[in-house]
Amino acid sequence: MNTLNRRAVLRLAGLSALGAAVAACAPDAAGGGAPKGDAAAKAFGFTSWSLNEEAQKGAVQAVLDAYAARAKVTINPASFPYNEYLNQVTLKLRGGQLTGAVQLDISWLAALAAMGRLKDLGAQAAGGGYTDVALGSGQFGGKQLGLPWTTGSIGLVANTELLKKAGVDGMPATVEEFEAALRKVAKLGGGITPYAAATKAAQLKDILPWMRTFGSPLLEGDTITVGDDASVAAVEWYKKLYDDKLIAPDVDRFDARALFAQGKAAFYDDAIITRGVVASQSPDKSLTEKMAPLARPVLKAGDTPQALLWGHVIVVVDGEGSDAAADFAAYATSDTATVASFFEKVKLPPTTTAGLADPKVSGDTFTADWTEKITKTATANPFWRYAGYAQIEAAIAEQVQAVLVGRSPAKEALAKAAETARPLQK
Amino acid sequence: MTATVSSRSIPVERVARRRPPRSRAAAWAAVTVIGFFGLAPIYWLVVTAFTPDDKAFAFPPSLVPTEITFDHFVRLAENEQLFGYLVNSVIVSVVTAVLSVAVSAYMAYAFSKFRYRGRSSLMHLVLASQLFPQALLLVTLYAVFSATGLLGSYTALIVSFTTFTLPLCVWMLKGIFDTVPSTLMEAAAIDGASRWRTLHQIALPLAAPGLVAAGLFAFVRAWNDFIFALTLADPDRQTLPPGLVHTYLGEFQTAWPDLMAASLVVSLPVIAAFMFLQRYLVGGLTAGAVKG
Repeated sequence: MNTLNRRAVLRLAGLSALGAAVAACAPDAAGGGAPKGDAAAKAFGFTSWSLNEEAQKGAVQAVLDAYAARAKVTINPASFPYNEYLNQVTLKLRGGQLTGAVQLDISWLAALAAMGRLKDLGAQAAGGGYTDVALGSGQFGGKQLGLPWTTGSIGLVANTELLKKAGVDGMPATVEEFEAALRKVAKLGGGITPYAAATKAAQLKDILPWMRTFGSPLLEGDTITVGDDASVAAVEWYKKLYDDKLIAPDVDRFDARALFAQGKAAFYDDAIITRGVVASQSPDKSLTEKMAPLARPVLKAGDTPQALLWGHVIVVVDGEGSDAAADFAAYATSDTATVASFFEKVKLPPTTTAGLADPKVSGDTFTADWTEKITKTATANPFWRYAGYAQIEAAIAEQVQAVLVGRSPAKEALAKAAETARPLQK
Repeated sequence: MTATVSSRSIPVERVARRRPPRSRAAAWAAVTVIGFFGLAPIYWLVVTAFTPDDKAFAFPPSLVPTEITFDHFVRLAENEQLFGYLVNSVIVSVVTAVLSVAVSAYMAYAFSKFRYRGRSSLMHLVLASQLFPQALLLVTLYAVFSATGLLGSYTALIVSFTTFTLPLCVWMLKGIFDTVPSTLMEAAAIDGASRWRTLHQIALPLAAPGLVAAGLFAFVRAWNDFIFALTLADPDRQTLPPGLVHTYLGEFQTAWPDLMAASLVVSLPVIAAFMFLQRYLVGGLTAGAVKG
């Protein structure tokens, strides 16, 4: 009879362990993370970055649970970090791994629409009661490819306490008044940045609404107008604020929020969620009461205040489970009780007339003010229609930064930005 | 030439003693500056991990914490999802390290101790694969794993990590096998040992420091990877780097103190591994670096 010596036993044990490891590493029966739907479309996927974000995941999960119970379907959630989301979703859509409903930032719609795999949600949009501005944020190429989930804007927020201390009466309505207010705030000293405007290249796209304020359309038809007299005047004005230390170097959105939360900035640009974000970073528990949204100052009285549209849409990938996913998208974005409850939890404004009129929403003064003063006149970034919009924004931002640090005159820099941006219009 | 150099060689202690005070001060200044750049981020990580949320964003920032909290560590301990990421990291990193060492040891031994046509070209081909930016291979690997049904699995991660660690591991171990005298192999052969036995009972034990160094390199590579772990693994099989980003870096805000606390905790296994194995690591990395 054969006997096993110690070495043979160890060898067998090693082989067994290796086998077990290989077995453990094998893909499961479901075959990976792609959302699956059955033939009767009683299951579909929902991909969303909010599903894993502490501040929102509970509210989003509640919407999923309520719909799943109501429609008797299974929703397979998937999530990627916000900063990597577009890359991951694009890769998975291209690889056929993405099905069902997908949350998108409105600026990403063109990039995904260009792949030709999104379902037209015109029928769902028609009966949803959405506002025109909101519907517009989900349209591309004449089709309704996304149902608006939240529609807001990026606009100016002020610390009214600091303005009062500086002797600024009322909110500045024109660029001239705004600059005068900044100069008054600067006199307070104490390390206060009057306007925590974006000056880091990564966030300098915030200058685009100022260019519009000065009269540049940015894009006419397919012609980039960055570099025209109005945009040059806007950048020269920004440079003046920079040189006079009314705005600070090396500031992005995160820095601006931190400065504002610490009471070290009188104005800054942010989305409507600013209230919750700065409150969590501030030692001053009453800061939110001192925050006030204001319409971006205009060049001359009577002009329309400029603001950048901001929001999320839900798109649906054509194919497996798409009808059920489209029904879910309509429910999540337009069922009044659902959107009002969602607003109550996360303070993201709804997109339907009925949702906005719900007492839970209309009773919120900050949101009502923001909607009236900022979102009402907000428009989309015209470059969003191009899949390469981010590179276009980066080309402009890079040249604006060159102006700020004194490396180039504004006219020359913006002409160069336009030249770099032109080949990216596709 | 060699004789001249060796006749002039001076003991290291004497060289140090003769160094003028000014150059010693300059050396210390250089060490201090470099140390500051190396250690300042770690110091800031530790300080932020113990700073309350509302103080973490204080302006101007305080170099010394004025208030200490353990809340971030408590929240970390309560987060079951992060524990899942940790388990995934351990599985993927350990298997990658073992697989990398196993494969690269055989490859390196073959490159070092056998002579055959195309050996040199093959060796450089292995090294040349390091010239490609790894992110470029992501799309290709994604398609390959998708077609083979491996997408989302641990296997996808382990195979891709092993692919990237192999070239360096092979070259590191080849250098070590080069230092093992061939006469030992010949002696073993004369005594009747097979090539298999010679490799396993003579060469591998002598190359142990190199195996440890290669294993650690592969482990750390797998432990720290972000983009492959995010793209190739299912959400429930993702490792700590994408897990931490997912948990703490959001659309609107970043929970810096929580992220720093989590980073501190997840660094501990790697730090412990380095401390425990550092003598092997140094020996393994430098072995074979100098000929003769």
